[in-house]
Parts: sequence; structure tokens; C-alpha cells
Amino acid sequence: MEYILEIFLDDYRLSKIKGTPVEANIEAVFGGELKVLRLKVGEDVKNEILKAFETARIDSRACITDTPVAFRRALFEEIANQKSLTEDVARAVLARINEIKELAAKESEFLPPPEIEE
Amino acid sequence: MSELYFKRPMPHGGKLVERVITDRRIAKKFYEACKKTGAVYEIKPTLHYKRGVPVRNVYREIMSVCYGFFSPVEGSMTSAELESVLSKRRLLSGWVFPYPILFDISKEDYQKLGVSEGDRLLLTLKGKPFAILDIEEIYEIDPEELANRTFGTPETNPEVVREKFDDKHPGWVIYRSHNPIILAGKYTIINEPVFKPPYDRFWLPPRKCREEFERRGWRTVIAHQTRNVPHVGHEHLMKNAAYTGDVEPCHGILVNAIIGVKRRGDYPDEAILEAHEAVNKYGYIKPERHMVTFTLWDMRYGNPLESLLHGIIRQNMGCTHHMFGRDHAAVGEYYDSFATQILWLKGIPSYGFDKPVNEVEGGLLIRPQNMREFWYCPVCKEMVYSETCGHSKQKQKLSGSLIRGLVAEGVQPPNIIMRPEVFKVVVKWWKKFNYPFVNERYVQWKEQELEVDIPDLD
Repeated sequence: MEYILEIFLDDYRLSKIKGTPVEANIEAVFGGELKVLRLKVGEDVKNEILKAFETARIDSRACITDTPVAFRRALFEEIANQKSLTEDVARAVLARINEIKELAAKESEFLPPPEIEE
Repeated sequence: MSELYFKRPMPHGGKLVERVITDRRIAKKFYEACKKTGAVYEIKPTLHYKRGVPVRNVYREIMSVCYGFFSPVEGSMTSAELESVLSKRRLLSGWVFPYPILFDISKEDYQKLGVSEGDRLLLTLKGKPFAILDIEEIYEIDPEELANRTFGTPETNPEVVREKFDDKHPGWVIYRSHNPIILAGKYTIINEPVFKPPYDRFWLPPRKCREEFERRGWRTVIAHQTRNVPHVGHEHLMKNAAYTGDVEPCHGILVNAIIGVKRRGDYPDEAILEAHEAVNKYGYIKPERHMVTFTLWDMRYGNPLESLLHGIIRQNMGCTHHMFGRDHAAVGEYYDSFATQILWLKGIPSYGFDKPVNEVEGGLLIRPQNMREFWYCPVCKEMVYSETCGHSKQKQKLSGSLIRGLVAEGVQPPNIIMRPEVFKVVVKWWKKFNYPFVNERYVQWKEQELEVDIPDLD
């Protein structure tokens, strides 16, 4: 079975992949209100991610969700570096797992709230 | 015409349990009498059997029993009642009930207390008198066996259980973390706790809830179970499920949030309540038709079993209908995604239901409204019902996890996914707790503070 890692794209991230082959894979969802990349992985990588992060889970869309923000940031960095959406990207991120876990541990204590109008 | 109207169902078991002494003079007499016998126990949180973090507080169960949410249960179960619940999901009286409700203490505390059957135990909370427990029986349990038998296994419950329960399942952990000595008997609250904001605005125990339905003229009411901040998919579930009713759509939608210890990554309880309130406050469902309340309970995430408890709670609150979606009160892949709907449509013989739970003896009267899914259809350009829209290949599923992902990265979900006013509530509590979701620090803080304060009784 295939599992999906979703990477949401804001303007900054869009600029980082502009002109790369990845750009062709951008999907617009929810009436075009959200841009997303979808990276597909197999059982082994899925299991490694679930094992690494206690909060990670599989949702009803077969997406791997509730991973730390640090993991998702690293995932995007690797996509931008490798200019690719293959499973190798996820493997490269897993190779940095200790560094990501360290960041994730801090993240479980504090996440900066967005500044929105009250 | 009136014979087509649905009547408000009687409480489960026929009578609403109310075991709360509201007369302070009488309460003080109980307290004085208890002080003389000397058996006093300060309620403690149940700690994770491995990690030592709070996973439950029995005070929530005492509240839900004494205010009638769990009618006809009146207290901590005897060994015979426990066996009946585990083997048949029935109380000894024959009424359906899914879960063990137990007052558990450690062997050391039992030795220190020196109580025996027939004694009355004063229970204090935050150091102040709260309730009494009239001890009918004292017995010992094996917590691991209790946890396994409560939920079942793929072998014993093949219709719906897909994976063996383990310490990744919060409900299994709660029962596994129970202390081994059970004091069985009826609870009575002698000193009513006072809810803190924002809980105070949403506290509506069954009798008052039934009175409120009368006051509002709600003949038919559909219950919405929640442990989540509402996204637009939940809103569509509520709006569409409420089209059922008798001769017209349900008059009311009762949102009843489960408040208690939750798993990491869920939203804080305060945000859940106020976010649902925002749905009616800002007119997405008008307040004349939508009301937010809660029940105290540390969720067991038991999917079909939890749905039984939800049915019981909301029938006791006076609802005529209950909506059930996919993965009802579920976590992980322990159950079939539609296990709850299987229970309410066909029954689950291995859990003691060879027919739907409304059709068995001692069963429920509340009617299920089993719903499939809502998703965004880019062809219809709107949120659609899975069984109505013909473009399922193009579906864009909305999930709580997807939204949590956006929120954690500080991306405001678009209006089509989450209402801006709901997101503002999330951010309000995020600023208070420095974190948008339940984390270990929140659990520790919450279990120390609880939802209530206890007034002086002296």
C-alpha cells in the first residue's frame, strides 16, 4: 500500500521550487485555496516514520499526519534540494532523524502562535 | 399528526440517577458523620502504568454517575456487575452498559484506610469534602486482564476488532493503569463542585438539559459527539444529519463534548468548547438550533463501545437521535472504520449484541443517524455527502489531521476548511498554553487544576 506525506506550500515555499521539475506536481485543493505537494512512500518508510514519532498517525486518506513541524520542514528542504518527489527524499530526511528528533522535542513544549487579528 | 411525533426517550434504565445532595445543611451532617468514622480518601489521578503521567481522574466518573449522565449506573461496580459488563455488556439489571466503572485504590492505600464492606468512605478532592462512597464490596482485579477484556481482541471480536490493543491505545492504558483494589458501592456527591470558566457556561446535566429542551420547544434533538475543534466537515455533518427528525428536521442539535484527559495532539478542552460555541455565535448554525454542552469522561476511544456510552449519555440528556460518522471515537487502526455503524445497524454478537442495540432487551431508545462521509468536491465546488455526490474519484477529504498539520505550521486554514472564528478560538488558547494541542505540560497542568473548584463545606 502507498502512503502519502503532504507538504503545504505558502508563498515562500512556492518560490523555492519555482522553475524546478517539482513545480509540475503542485496540486491545488479545496477550490484552489490550498497548494500542496504529495510525496508517496511505501510500508517500510511509513513504519520508520511511525516508529520515530509517537504522535504520527495514518488518517482516513492514507496520509501520514501529525508528524513534528521539524520533520515537515526537513521534508520540504530535501524536496527543494533534490528537486524531486521520490521516496529517496523521505529516506534522506530519515537519515537526519536524530537532529529532527532533537528539534521535535523542543517543539512539543512550545510552538509560536500566529499573529492574527483578535 | 401527533402520533407521528417522536417522544423524548425515557432515561436509560427508566429513571434518571441523581445522587447529589444540594441541601448544605444535610450535606454538612453527612460530612460530620463521616469525619467521626475517620475513613477519608483524597482522590488522585490515575497514572500511566509505565510512564507515570496522568491518564484519568475518577472524579470525572463520580460526577457523571451522580448527575445522571451514566444512568442507571449508581456507583463503582461490584465484581458480579463487572463480570456482567465484560461478558455481556449488560448491568446486572439487564440494561446495556459498555464499560467498567470502578473506584480503584492501591494495596498500600487500602491497608492505610483500613475500611471494610459496609463502611462509608469520605472522598475529598483538592483537599476538600466532595463525595461519599458506601462500600458494598471490596475485591481485587488484574488490570491487564481488565484492559484486554474491556476492548476484546481480533480473535474474540473478529467482526470489528482489527488489531490487538496495546499501550499505544489510550483507553486500554486507562484500564491497564487501574489500581488493583476495587471499592464497589454507590457514590453520593455531598459538596457540589463549581465549574471554572469556560466550563461553567457549558455545564448542563441531564435533568437541566431535558428542562432546557422543553423551554426551547425542542421535541426532537440530535446529538453530536465531539472531542475536537469543529472543521467545516463537522459542520456539514451536523447540518445534514439534523435533517432527520419526525415530521420535520430535528428541532435542535446538541453538541456534547467529552472533557477529560485526551491524547497528545488533540485540542485543549477549553478550545473545543469555545470553538463549537463559535459555530453558533457566528451564525454557521444559528444558536436557536444549536447548543454546546459537555460530559466529564476520560475517553476510552473504544469506537463501538464508546458509541454505546455516547448513546446512553445523550438519551439521558433527552436527545431523540444521535449522529455517528466514520471512525467514531476511534484512534489508530484497532477497529473497523465503521464498527460503530455495524453495532447500530446489525449488532456485534461477540460484544453481546446479536441485533442492533436499539432492538435488544435493555437496549437504547435513542435513534442512530449513521452517516458516511463529507468531503470537498472540486466538480460540484462544495462540501458534499459521499453517498450523494457522483464525483468520488475527485474527492478531497477533509480530516482533523490535515488541519492540525496546517495549524502547527502556523498556516490559517482556508474558510472552506475551518471557519476563521473557530481558528481565532484555537489561537486564543494556543497563546494561553503556548501550544495549540494537548501536550504533556497541558495534561500535567490540567490534571492538577481540574475543571472545577471545590467550595468549603465547614
